[in-house]
Amino acid sequence: MNSSDRELFVEQVREHHAGLRGFVRALGVDPLWVDDLAQEAFIVAYNRLDEYDHDRDFGAWLRGIARNLVINERRKNARRKRILSDNLTDVLVSTSSVAEEEEREIGDNGLVRMKALKECIATLPEKSLQMMRSRYEDDLSAQDIAEQYGMKPPAVRKALERVRASLRKCMEDRLGLAGA
Amino acid sequence: MEEKRTAEELLEDLLQGDAGDNALRLLADRIQDDNQLGRRVRDELEFSEMLRQALKSEAVITAESVDALVESASLETNELIDRVCDGKPTAFECDRLAKHLWENPKAIGQLKQRLAADEWTSQAISEARGEAAFVEALETRMWAETRQDSFVDDFAARLDQEIAIQDGDENVVPFPWGATIAKMAAVAAVFAFGAFMLAEQVSQKIGNEPVASLVKASDNVRWKGNLAPDANGGVQSGQYELSSGVIALKFPSGGELTVEGPAAFRVDEDGSAFVYHGVALARANTPDNAINLQARGINVLEQAPLIGIDARSEFSTNAFVLSGDGGICMNDGATCRSLFEFEAVKADYTRDKLVDIPYNPRAFSKTWELLSGVETNLGDVRIELPGTEPTRAPGEGEVRVFVENDSFQPAGGLEVDLLPAGQFAAVGSNSGKAIETKGELRSYLLQVGPSNDKSVEASLTFEHEVVGVIFSSDRLESSDQSVGSSMRDLGGDFSRVRGLDYGSDELLLSDDGRTLNLRLQSGGQQLDQVRVLVAVR
Repeated sequence: MNSSDRELFVEQVREHHAGLRGFVRALGVDPLWVDDLAQEAFIVAYNRLDEYDHDRDFGAWLRGIARNLVINERRKNARRKRILSDNLTDVLVSTSSVAEEEEREIGDNGLVRMKALKECIATLPEKSLQMMRSRYEDDLSAQDIAEQYGMKPPAVRKALERVRASLRKCMEDRLGLAGA
Repeated sequence: MEEKRTAEELLEDLLQGDAGDNALRLLADRIQDDNQLGRRVRDELEFSEMLRQALKSEAVITAESVDALVESASLETNELIDRVCDGKPTAFECDRLAKHLWENPKAIGQLKQRLAADEWTSQAISEARGEAAFVEALETRMWAETRQDSFVDDFAARLDQEIAIQDGDENVVPFPWGATIAKMAAVAAVFAFGAFMLAEQVSQKIGNEPVASLVKASDNVRWKGNLAPDANGGVQSGQYELSSGVIALKFPSGGELTVEGPAAFRVDEDGSAFVYHGVALARANTPDNAINLQARGINVLEQAPLIGIDARSEFSTNAFVLSGDGGICMNDGATCRSLFEFEAVKADYTRDKLVDIPYNPRAFSKTWELLSGVETNLGDVRIELPGTEPTRAPGEGEVRVFVENDSFQPAGGLEVDLLPAGQFAAVGSNSGKAIETKGELRSYLLQVGPSNDKSVEASLTFEHEVVGVIFSSDRLESSDQSVGSSMRDLGGDFSRVRGLDYGSDELLLSDDGRTLNLRLQSGGQQLDQVRVLVAVR
């Protein structure tokens, strides 16, 4: 591998890591193992960089590697699996190779999405931010958060979903503005 | 042969999973002629499936799981998607959702979008899942797998630039003279700003006597603000902001502190230092040399001989012990722990937690270069970080320098090769001599790995006088233990060929005994090693 190959790889890690992690999660990988699997995909890609056809989209190549890693999870012993459920991953993987547009939508432009999302998060009210931190930083489930806040789980789910929806809209608005 | 086997034997093979194509065909033929056998085979296969399911761990049914099953059975697709996106769905919920999705493929896209958006939200909200953390973990993994893959360096160099730019945009510690006031998280901002302002006020009352000396600096050093070392290298007490470059300070105690910009730090009259932001590496060869070192979130209670502080994040500070043992506390003084060689810890001061992290001292590459005691005058030279082990991996025509032992007293009988100063001479067989010095020594191992480059040239100037050079394989081998080298046998004929090649490799030690020039033939599978001993005191 020559230095320009390595340079390309570094560029691609920065460009694709956020999108790849979203893609991996969208194949039903357990959230706790998403980073692990995405890193594995990058390492496989790095080791096989000599096989990469420079005319192809690097992101698509990377997603292909990640998809194969997820499929391999199906064959593992239950205790070592990094996916939520065999059946769920079956459904999600079986459609991932056909819906190329959708896949590209999820996997590409990760950096831009992340920047927009961070800007949106900065505008959240304090209580919403705390709840989102409990969910995403402390890794608490809706049930756990409900106990922490003295709320009912459905109410927490609804609140989280409302915040998520508003963040998604905000992100898409910003992306739309940036695109315009 | 198979044709002569009974139906019972063929069925047994089938149930044991040993039936080949021929046996299956035979069994199928016989079932066509024998209905009773057909029923028997069907019964046995059904029972086998029941056994398989009964033996699966997920088949254990409890009252709770039945409740969950009943509840999940009544949930709509959207509700099941909510459960899955919530983070901890049950196996029933996942399977139920999978069934819904097979029946309603349009919802698959919706679920994927939700999961991906959930993942991005997590990355955006949690620092532990942000880009820097992901890349650091990836690097650590690469480091762990390869120990020295150049990928890490390439990655590091590029990433450091990017992160520095991002930090400049958003995460700058608010100094009074800083150009950018960042949008910092409240806790970090209050902590850092408060500590800084207090220090700033105190510093105004302190006199102007130098409390440390600037002993080294890289070419690209730029200071910011109204305080910088004087023309003689004198460093007064106060706060300093280093925009770029690397500097090394020496304190009256003998302790050394190197800092890499962008960084902000304070030095005080009592020989203490506080790192607000940036990367710093402190060395104290004896407890008497120790600097009273603090950083945002961390107080170095017991200084290890070589300890690194990475205070580039706004929420946490990492401490690495690169040599020896030490102890650190959080600034509250209540949360403390011992740190041993090649251990690292993260002080998360927004949560008052000390967390173990993998040892990956890459952040200290530049500060370590200044502390290693080696200056490069010519050629491609890489100063390896403590903890990096020499390997036989192919090189890229570079000289790798390992500090084997920072300070040791040579045991009697340490023999070095003869190398007359001032003559550029081909390496040849020589009788060697016993080392004469009685003081403390430092040992460096220089290595050139196999590469496609035919020759490698380098010139290294050492901070201390070179008192011995070992380049013959047998003396390298016999001195490993005396210098406390962690050199492992790298396999093959390593112990016989690790030295320089007689007749083709050339060495020159300068008249002042501080500069070693090498001209090595490195083509093919050759591995060249040279051990350099310098007198520390």
